[in-house]
Amino acid sequence: MDILVYGTINSIILALMSLGFTLVYSISRLPNFAHGALYIATGYTVWMLLNSLELSYPLAILIGILGTAASGALIYRFALIRVRGMEISEVIASYAIGLAIIEGLRWGGLRGSTFTLPSFMSGSITFFDVSIDYQRLIIMVTGFAVFVMLYLFTRFTKTGLAFRGIAQDERASMMLGIDSDFTAILSLAIGSGLAGLSAVILLPLGNIVVETGYNVLIFSIAVSIIGGLGSWSGVVVASFIIGFAQILTEVFLSSHYQMVVALLAIIVTLLIKPSGIMGKQKELEERV
Amino acid sequence: MLKASDLMVFYENMLALNNVTIDIKSNSITGIFGSNSAGKSTLMHMISGIILDMQKKEEMKGGERISSYGTIDFEHQEISKLKPHERARMGIILCPERRRIFAESSVMENLKIGAFLSTSAETKENLDYVLHIFPHLTKHLHRQGGFLSGGEQQMLAIGRAIMAKPKLLLLDEPLLGLSPLYQKIVVTAIKEIRNSKKIAIIITEQYARPIIPIIEYGYIIENGSSVLEGTGNELLDNPDVKSAYFGV
Repeated sequence: MDILVYGTINSIILALMSLGFTLVYSISRLPNFAHGALYIATGYTVWMLLNSLELSYPLAILIGILGTAASGALIYRFALIRVRGMEISEVIASYAIGLAIIEGLRWGGLRGSTFTLPSFMSGSITFFDVSIDYQRLIIMVTGFAVFVMLYLFTRFTKTGLAFRGIAQDERASMMLGIDSDFTAILSLAIGSGLAGLSAVILLPLGNIVVETGYNVLIFSIAVSIIGGLGSWSGVVVASFIIGFAQILTEVFLSSHYQMVVALLAIIVTLLIKPSGIMGKQKELEERV
Repeated sequence: MLKASDLMVFYENMLALNNVTIDIKSNSITGIFGSNSAGKSTLMHMISGIILDMQKKEEMKGGERISSYGTIDFEHQEISKLKPHERARMGIILCPERRRIFAESSVMENLKIGAFLSTSAETKENLDYVLHIFPHLTKHLHRQGGFLSGGEQQMLAIGRAIMAKPKLLLLDEPLLGLSPLYQKIVVTAIKEIRNSKKIAIIITEQYARPIIPIIEYGYIIENGSSVLEGTGNELLDNPDVKSAYFGV
């Protein structure tokens, strides 16, 4: 039973981490390799606001997420816009920015295990003999809420519909008056905001350490490749596969193998079905 | 309403459009006829601004060098440097060749994405209008765009373009691959759109016969040059045109 419960929680954590990455890729075809850096930067910003400026926790969180969203938009506006369309350069540019942020934080003093964010609520409940703390419960609820809100956003608002149009056929959307650069800026802002949101609710589970930035990036890439690049339903499916695989290895082997599982899953996916689990439709299109 | 002068486009060193000048009057239907690779689609891309996007993408990829020259005057404004979405905002909407339907979205969603530039009142009005001229779409509203037949997709593409409230509607080969029955429906609908919406429409087509009855003016393009122009009847009476574009 705890495998089921903690597997589900772990899967939702993975889905939250990688959702921002997939969202940006599906809309703008931009691989945002600064995703992990933005994640950890949000955590550190919130910590600073809490401890140096002594703001209230909710306010710090709000500023942290909005700040990350804004930096995502700025990254596109001033860096990625110049290399858009050159795939390798997109990867190099965004990764360089991510690297600069992460190593900058390390240089700026984010070392050791003294940085923690308080959890929103302490305590736990028991659910079928498994005890779950409130923070993990909040994560589950937020995960569901984010997915529902994104679904509603992309189907019932004008901007969301423009996103869906651009994601499917950029040029046809332009002909209908949708600005591709504007949607890209917006998608990066939302994607980065999601990275920030997941950082704020996931980081209270542990310490804020810079290495998390790299791990988040690797997990996001693993989830998006296995789910099929740019497929949202793929994110959910892949998160559950990796999430449960990780919990199972933790139970039966050792927690050191968590990263190995994710990377192994990438290799297996690329060998068996390179387009990913939910990448079917795109694969078909390419063949036609 | 639109005057495009001395348009020239090169793909690398290949001349795709050579000094083409067209003049579009408001509330009229203009036909542009020419065989494969005569430059019809390039002309549509020039007017809608898509050529600028192609230029940028190719340049980024290190691919083909596309260069374009000429002036385009739309409602007394020079627009040849404006981006496609800015031109769409001014009312130039292109309904592209091969339709480019959003395949994963339902018919309804395709139309809603098309209404990006409209207010919700306009959206509602135009939606009713599209379903009125294409009643076929009504029963497929919740079907995925990719699962429609070619004729239905073409109706959807035109409907989607109307949702963007065009002042100048560009239809690039709307009859391509349609059965004679669907061709007739589409041609009737185009005429009906012009009559009720009072907009200007440009249609390109390889085969002129189904279109000629509804056009006010037409151009014939060969190898990138405009070789002949005139009203529908003038084109019909020209013996060369007759043999080349009407199969007589």
